[in-house]
Amino acid sequence: MVDLVPPLAIGTGLQRYARRMAGVFILALAAGCASLFPQTSELGKSGLPPGLPERVELAHTPFFPQEEYQCGPAALATALVSAGAQTTPEALVPQVYVPERKGSFQVEMLAAARRHGMVSYALAPKFEDLLREIAAGTPVIVLQNLGILWAGWHYAVAIGYDYSRGTLVLRSGTQEREVMPFGTHELVWMRSGYWAMVAMPPDRIPVTAEEKSWLNALAAFERVGNARAARTAYEKTLERWPENVNARIGLANVHHGLGDLAKAEAVLREAAEHDPDSVVVLNNLAQTISDQGRHAEALPFIERAAAAGGPFAGAVQKTRATILERLGQKRIE
Amino acid sequence: MKSVWARTLCRLLMVLMVWSPMQLANAGMIGTDQAASVATQADRDTLFQFLGRSDVTSQLQSLGIDPATVKGRVAAMTDQEVQSLADKIHSMPAGGDSGAILLLIVIGVVVWWIWFRR
Repeated sequence: MVDLVPPLAIGTGLQRYARRMAGVFILALAAGCASLFPQTSELGKSGLPPGLPERVELAHTPFFPQEEYQCGPAALATALVSAGAQTTPEALVPQVYVPERKGSFQVEMLAAARRHGMVSYALAPKFEDLLREIAAGTPVIVLQNLGILWAGWHYAVAIGYDYSRGTLVLRSGTQEREVMPFGTHELVWMRSGYWAMVAMPPDRIPVTAEEKSWLNALAAFERVGNARAARTAYEKTLERWPENVNARIGLANVHHGLGDLAKAEAVLREAAEHDPDSVVVLNNLAQTISDQGRHAEALPFIERAAAAGGPFAGAVQKTRATILERLGQKRIE
Repeated sequence: MKSVWARTLCRLLMVLMVWSPMQLANAGMIGTDQAASVATQADRDTLFQFLGRSDVTSQLQSLGIDPATVKGRVAAMTDQEVQSLADKIHSMPAGGDSGAILLLIVIGVVVWWIWFRR
């Protein structure tokens, strides 16, 4: 009995430890160590980013209290339902949960959103972008690491902020309204490389979306999602970035897939006017024209694509061979 | 642990085996995902990623995922996502923990109070 440490002593030991730890952090601060949470201190110094309201809370965002280890499905359901999908954390478990790892991978969070008709987009690793998306009405899934001695990866959904108080509001775990200081959030968020994602209905584009990354997100959505939804998404994207050739290629591919060859051709002709050297445009235009039975008309386009060479040379040669074959058969007939 | 070289060699051999069927699957139109990620070796990359899919499928199954659902999960990923999972599945974070760590919160509050409000 004498050898056992009384419970009280354990408590004071812990407290002393905690106090010392806090002391270390304060010391680091006193030494001007802003690098502990660089983005928060930047936000504090430069003031409220232009165009953002002082305070936002998306109070209507649904809340799904998580069951053990199920913060992935819970966070994803929160984002999906708030984007207009109909689902539940239980329905998402077989789509994102990994039993042996007792958690969910980021890649699968992005992939599963597409299966529910939403375009998933990983935000740039910027605190300001996080605030901008919330201000635009989009809840943001963030990956935090709450662990100290071992990893404690955790998904939460940021749904609000108060700039003057410097706090973020999250749906997190079993807490419907967790208020976390910017600095604390940054400390646990930066450990995932500031990873954040949004799930958008096909007719909306995230306010902070970068053109190239968004087009990649759309191409991923097109692979999985419903073609009509992808068509809507490409049309909206062309409204925002009218010059984007990949959006035109995507829109034409969706038209082609839906059997609307005339529309696909029209989009590709427009694309060829804007980007006369795009091998993909020339190849797909030739294929689309040929698919409508006008093989001779398709030939000059595929010859131009073939002359350009490049990474798609193999695909172009295949298309050319197909068109020549069809042309030959037509002559024989 | 299989060596990187052995894996690369296996993949190369399998590439040679599946090269033609994959090419035939292309219906003449160059896909948007390919166009969006113009890699220098677009065709070969596609094949590596095709192999990545079966790799990832078996890896996920070994992590306890029901074989009946694993196919749909992998199908929803892009080639790059499959590749990143295939390469890093054992080191990738899997978010699942709940519960905030009190100490961090306390430190955070102090930090925020000193830094943000002064």
